[in-house]
Amino acid sequence: MLRRSAAAALALGFGVAAAYESAKLPFGTVHSPGPGFFPWWTSVLIAALALIFLGQALRARAKIEVEASGRIAKVLALLAVLALYTFLLEPLGYPLCTFLLVLFMLRVTDPQRWSVALGMAGLTAVASYVVFAVWLSVPLPRGPL
Amino acid sequence: MEILSNLATGFALALTPVNLLYCFLGSFIGTAIGVLPGLGPPATIALLLPVTYGIPATSAVILLAGIFYGAMYGGSTTSILLNIPGEAASVVTCLDGYQMARQGKAGAALAISAFGSFIAGTLAIVGLMLLAPPLASFALKFGPAENFALLVLGLMMVGYLAGASLTKGLMMAGLGLLLGTVGLDPIVGTQRFTFGFFKLSEGFDFILVAMGLFGIGEVLANVEQTITADVFQTKIRGLLPSREEWRAAAAPIARGSLLGFFIGVLPGGGAIISSFISYALEKKLSNHPERFGKGAIEGVAAPESANNSAATSSFVPLLTLGIPGNASIAMIFAALMIHGIRPGPLLVAERPEVFWGLVASMYIGNIMLLVLNLPLIGLWVKLLKVPYPLLAPLILVFVLIGAYSVNNSSFDVGVTIAFGVLGYLLRKFDFEPAPLVLAMILGPQLEASLRRSLIYSRGDLLIFFERPIAAALLALALLMLLSPIFRTVLSRKFWQFVAPETRGKPDAGSV
Repeated sequence: MLRRSAAAALALGFGVAAAYESAKLPFGTVHSPGPGFFPWWTSVLIAALALIFLGQALRARAKIEVEASGRIAKVLALLAVLALYTFLLEPLGYPLCTFLLVLFMLRVTDPQRWSVALGMAGLTAVASYVVFAVWLSVPLPRGPL
Repeated sequence: MEILSNLATGFALALTPVNLLYCFLGSFIGTAIGVLPGLGPPATIALLLPVTYGIPATSAVILLAGIFYGAMYGGSTTSILLNIPGEAASVVTCLDGYQMARQGKAGAALAISAFGSFIAGTLAIVGLMLLAPPLASFALKFGPAENFALLVLGLMMVGYLAGASLTKGLMMAGLGLLLGTVGLDPIVGTQRFTFGFFKLSEGFDFILVAMGLFGIGEVLANVEQTITADVFQTKIRGLLPSREEWRAAAAPIARGSLLGFFIGVLPGGGAIISSFISYALEKKLSNHPERFGKGAIEGVAAPESANNSAATSSFVPLLTLGIPGNASIAMIFAALMIHGIRPGPLLVAERPEVFWGLVASMYIGNIMLLVLNLPLIGLWVKLLKVPYPLLAPLILVFVLIGAYSVNNSSFDVGVTIAFGVLGYLLRKFDFEPAPLVLAMILGPQLEASLRRSLIYSRGDLLIFFERPIAAALLALALLMLLSPIFRTVLSRKFWQFVAPETRGKPDAGSV
């Protein structure tokens, strides 16, 4: 119940915010709808649906929800690493960033032996760089290496 | 006769070495991801979208379509051997397939599902070939009002059929519509919701959204769950069903094919629902319903035929009306758009080579899949031994490269990751991402047809009700809006009836 209510509240907030943003665009008239017309009605629709959903969520009897294991911390950590990856991609270059990302996933997210982790990370970084940057000429950032 | 000559042209195209290779690649990748739990067809097709930039349109569609229907073949393998559905469309196959495997009849179960898939797939192509061209020429008469009504109905059906709740489905559709409005206004060119980011003025690139929602989202969700697979230790013997088994399976295959075809044509219908309904139907028709869940071959044959038939027939609304009925088909829609081809009523007439080439390649692909999934079954069982933790980084790296390669920009990598977070959250809160991507694709058309209709009628909303086709379509949409109560009852009945204790979770959103 709590989770559904939270989702509904989030959606409601989103709908209201979107309606507010849409209201800044020229609305036009029904005879000649402007750029804001469609987004505004869509936002209102989302907000209205979110209200209905909130009602459903509150009315549903509280059930014991199966909560996921403690692995959510791993997901958050992986997300943080992915965000870092985006920012470091240009300065550090693709091969190094990818090596570190794969190493992280194989040592922290789902720990493997060091030899497996290092080997996979090295192989993935080099092989994908060769295939995509050299053969398929995707200009992946090379970095200082 | 015209069909035959068109089909001959199609085969001439599909049988060129390059297209044969793409067809094989599609079938091969499709089977592989079908076998692997944790990577569904929409995610895979999204990952491969950037690759299809560089190849001709027909080849691209042949490749991506092969992945989609190929996954329907592969999905049953894990259901039967592991009791874990490789794809959501193979959930019901677990019920009787795994029981058959435990009784030492794994070979027969695998064989009947492969043959059933082949027969159903082939019949559905015949249906697609016969139904699509006339439907397309009918849809050519549609004006903006009819288009608007059709899109509303399409979105409504997707929201209605894709997930557990219509409210949630429609919320997702609304979000998708809003995402589709980011960028320049289609009629007057005003900047909308770009928040000062110059890169957003062309809107969110669909490829990035798709790769994030399905690719990264799926990896994150799987990281949280940890998938473990214990391959059922058995010798797979007798890959040819006995005469007895054929006799028991023949009618279910025929019924499954037919049912799957009709459900697949509906937007939002498709492989998953058709497999459930055909299972329920067989149980209802059987003289010994108590055998179901204990290794009844009908319970494998019918749903496996239905999901293949539905996968193929879901190309009908895409190629004739321009409405993608599920997430995988939405990716193929995007692939066509990349090549400057607008899926819709004009496609069959203007780009016959794409349509007939695809149809011909499907006949060929189904034969390839039969070979891949029967004599080579041992190969796929080996593939199951690759642990998911080693696979996850590879998928992720592939997504990141793909995202970067679209515009050679690390901004795009960030956008993709952001949509990955959204995809993960949606799965966590039990929201289905399919209506979102469909609405995002259809949104610009929906808006344009609404505004054009209103301009044309000088603001008179009656335009949508005075034209018979538009009115009928909208009435149908309204009917769906009012019927969720009826539907809840129906689905509760279904689960009581089937009463499954399926282990494991299928890939999220793998339509």
